[in-house]
Order: sequence, then structure tokens, then C-alpha cells
Amino acid sequence: MTALARSLRARTLSPVELVDAYLTRIEAGRDLRAFITEPGATAHGQAQRAAERLARGETGALLGVPVALKDLFSTRGMRTTVGSRILRDWVPAVDAAVVTRLREAGAIVFGKTNLHEFAYGVSTANPWWGVARNPVDPRRSPGGSSGGSAIAVVAGMCAAAIGSDTGGSIRIPAALCGCVGLKPTRGALPLDGAYPLGWSLDHAGPLTRTVADAGLLFEVLSGRTLPPRVRTRGLRVGLVQSNITRRVQLGVRARVEAAALGLRRAGLHVREVTIPELDWTVATQLVTLRAEASAVHARWIRQRPKAYGPDVRARLQLGALVSGADYVVAQRARDRIREAVRQVFEHVDVLVLPTTPITAPVIGDRVARWGSDEEPVDGALVRLTSPFNLSGVPALSVPFGAAAGLPVGVQVVGPWNDEPRVLAVGRLIEALAGA
Amino acid sequence: MDPITAHRHGLHTVPVTERDRLAAAARAAGLRLASGDLDRLLPAWKRYIALVEELRAQVVAEPDA
Repeated sequence: MTALARSLRARTLSPVELVDAYLTRIEAGRDLRAFITEPGATAHGQAQRAAERLARGETGALLGVPVALKDLFSTRGMRTTVGSRILRDWVPAVDAAVVTRLREAGAIVFGKTNLHEFAYGVSTANPWWGVARNPVDPRRSPGGSSGGSAIAVVAGMCAAAIGSDTGGSIRIPAALCGCVGLKPTRGALPLDGAYPLGWSLDHAGPLTRTVADAGLLFEVLSGRTLPPRVRTRGLRVGLVQSNITRRVQLGVRARVEAAALGLRRAGLHVREVTIPELDWTVATQLVTLRAEASAVHARWIRQRPKAYGPDVRARLQLGALVSGADYVVAQRARDRIREAVRQVFEHVDVLVLPTTPITAPVIGDRVARWGSDEEPVDGALVRLTSPFNLSGVPALSVPFGAAAGLPVGVQVVGPWNDEPRVLAVGRLIEALAGA
Repeated sequence: MDPITAHRHGLHTVPVTERDRLAAAARAAGLRLASGDLDRLLPAWKRYIALVEELRAQVVAEPDA
């Protein structure tokens, strides 16, 4: 995307040509169900206006660059369904804050991507807008909930996409489809106009083809400027070894260990770290999210339960049963998880672990098997990402090769507001993957 | 006193199984659940209860009764 923006500024490529190329790919890949609302005619108008601005010598970090949006970000005058039947005809009157920032930077708002219904799930098997399919292997799930955004990026249907992440919903599809996904520090990007799932867990962030692109979008969306260079040699890397990382597919583990070895060879100090409090992640995330999501849907789930798909309906109904006492227990656990994560960064600069313990599951698979034990697939997929929604620290998923032909994501996590180091280590891992 | 006897005596019924507890909790929360809905939710409800109890035991130190 950074290269595209350069070519557009140099006028060696026109926004209209670029839009046409992406529209052709969208049409060819329609079976992947990446979009709920395809860019259509509005994209051409935006591209034409961008071309005129470029011809006048105007600049903008993303001037003429087509960026797709997960269909939970409000778009003025453009349908915003949140992947639901309930909001299928909702046309917001105002843009979400991240959309405003993209437009101010000159980006072309390039359609609305598919997601798990109301972002409440990690398969993007959407009962109303189509079952999304992994572009690497269409029999498999792209993950979610920002599944359509990851598909659009990997299948070359846009320059980049924006997603949201409440338990891993940017990083999981990025890992399963093979692109970069950044969940910034909680609060770094505005959520105004983003349809909520869990108010204390929600984050917005980019899905991109490169780490540099994720950095550029982070700058545009946060208003912060990243330092041009961050020294990585000598950084202390903690390779997370806890109960939550015990069950990881062998092929995934091998890739993460290869990334750690590469970092060591590049002059970083890698050692294993244990964070016992992460063992509470699954229960803490479950209680917190169930309570918060069912607060958002309190009226509809009681009055119109059949208007939800079966899996989301069940989650919301169970969420309505979470007691205040349970929520308090979960917040006490969360405080201790947050403090443990804060303390580990007194000893290391970044953490490294798999983004997901498994590669993309076959669509419809419900359990991951660990010897004679089973784990729900959706629980397995969020197991290694949700600790960083609970703690709010920045986390990046970077593709690092494949296991049995399926993409593997390595997750880099840093302390609060340390996106520069997270991105710098991510760039290094990206370079090692390509080496 | 079993729930049916309690009901005949005009007393509140007492939930006796996990399914009864789930049904009672759902009614109290204002959810309209059919019998099939209860059956579908029951396994996840049991897992939820077990997870929360485990978390409570690890996080909250309660004084001995």
C-alpha cells in the first residue's frame, strides 16, 4: 500500500485503474463472500475525484488508495448491516471516526466487508450474508470476526482493510488467511461509530499485506507519528510458555520456534517467560464478553430472538444470565491478568507467541483435537489473542510461513502504547519469513 | 418437599436440576425459551457454571464459614 500510494502520487498509476483492477478481483472471487456491500459505482466517483486532486498536486497519506471497511463501521449514506438481519437496511447519517480519518487522508472507502453476525464469533459463517471462505483453501474458514476484511486483503480485492478486535477478531483472520493484523493499544484508535460488541474489550485496527502498511494505517487512524527507525538489536523477547500455550499444533509451534530462532540470530535476546495468570483468560474473557455483549443486545434478544442466527442467539441468551457477582469475579481476575502482563514488560520488551494454536479449520468443524481431549474451535482460536484484549496492550499478527500448506501467524505483543517496537519486531519477523 | 408438592401447597417451586436452574434463570432474565432452546443451551450453561466456579475459587479468597 505504501508503494501504491507512492505510485499514485507519482501519477504512474491512476486511482481509476487501481479501482478497476480491484473490482475485477472482487467479481472473480465473489464465492469467497468477502463483501456484504461491494464498492460499486461510488468507488469510481471517489477514484475520479482522487485523480483530479492528484493532478492538482494535492497530497494525502492515502490519496486514491482503496481501503475496505468491516461492515460494523458506520458509513454516511452507505448501508451498515453489522452482519445482521436486524440492521440489514440501516443507513447511518454519519461516518465512524475511523472512516472520517481515512477520508481526510484521501482514502477511497471501498465497500463493506463480511463479518460474523454482530462480530460475535470467529468463523464468519454468516447466516444472512453468506459463509465466508478462506482464499488459501475455500473449504476452510477464514476466521473472524473480521473474516471478510482478511479475505479482501489476501485475495487482492483492496489495498488494505479495517477490522475490529474484541477477542482476536483482527489477528485471528489475519493469521488464518495469511496477512498482517494489528490490534493497537486500547483507546489509541477511536471507536465512535463502530457498532459495539464488548465495550471494554473492543479495538479497531488495520489488516494489511505488510507490516509497513499496518504502521501507515495506524498513523493515519491514531494521529500519532511513528519514529522512522526503531533499533531491534538487543531487544529482550519473551517467548510465552504457559498453560495456554501448551496445546498448539506441532506445525504452528515449529514456525513460532523458527521465528524465535531468527530473532536470536538477528541479535535479540530471546528467553522463555511464564505468566501463570494467563490461565484465567478463557473464563475471564467469556464472562466479560458475554455480559457486555448481552448488555448491547438486551432488548432485541428478549423481543426478537429469532432475528439472530443460532450461534449468536445462544451466546446472547447465555449472556443474559451472567450475574453481577460473576462479572465482578471476572473483573478481579482481569485486574490481575493486566498487572501480570504489565510486570512481564519490566523484564522483556516484547512477547512472542502463536496468534492461534491451530491453522484454518475446515468450515463447520466444531472441535480441535488434542490427543484424546477436545476443545471447541472458537475457544481455541481466541485462547492466545484474548489476553491482550483483557489487558489492552498492542498485539500484531505477522504471517510466518505455513504448516501443511496453511498460513501461520506469529503474534508480537508490547507494553501499553509501544506500537513502534511491536511494529519494528514485526517487520523483522516479516523479513525473516521472506528470507 | 419435592417441587410438585411445594407447588400444590402454594409455595414457590424449587429448581432441582441444572435444567430447572437454567429455566428459572432464563425466566428471571426475561428470556422466552422453549423446551428445545433449554436443551440446546444446557451444555454451554453447565460449562459456563464450571468455569466461573473454578475462576472464583482461584481469584476470590473467601473466609471459612
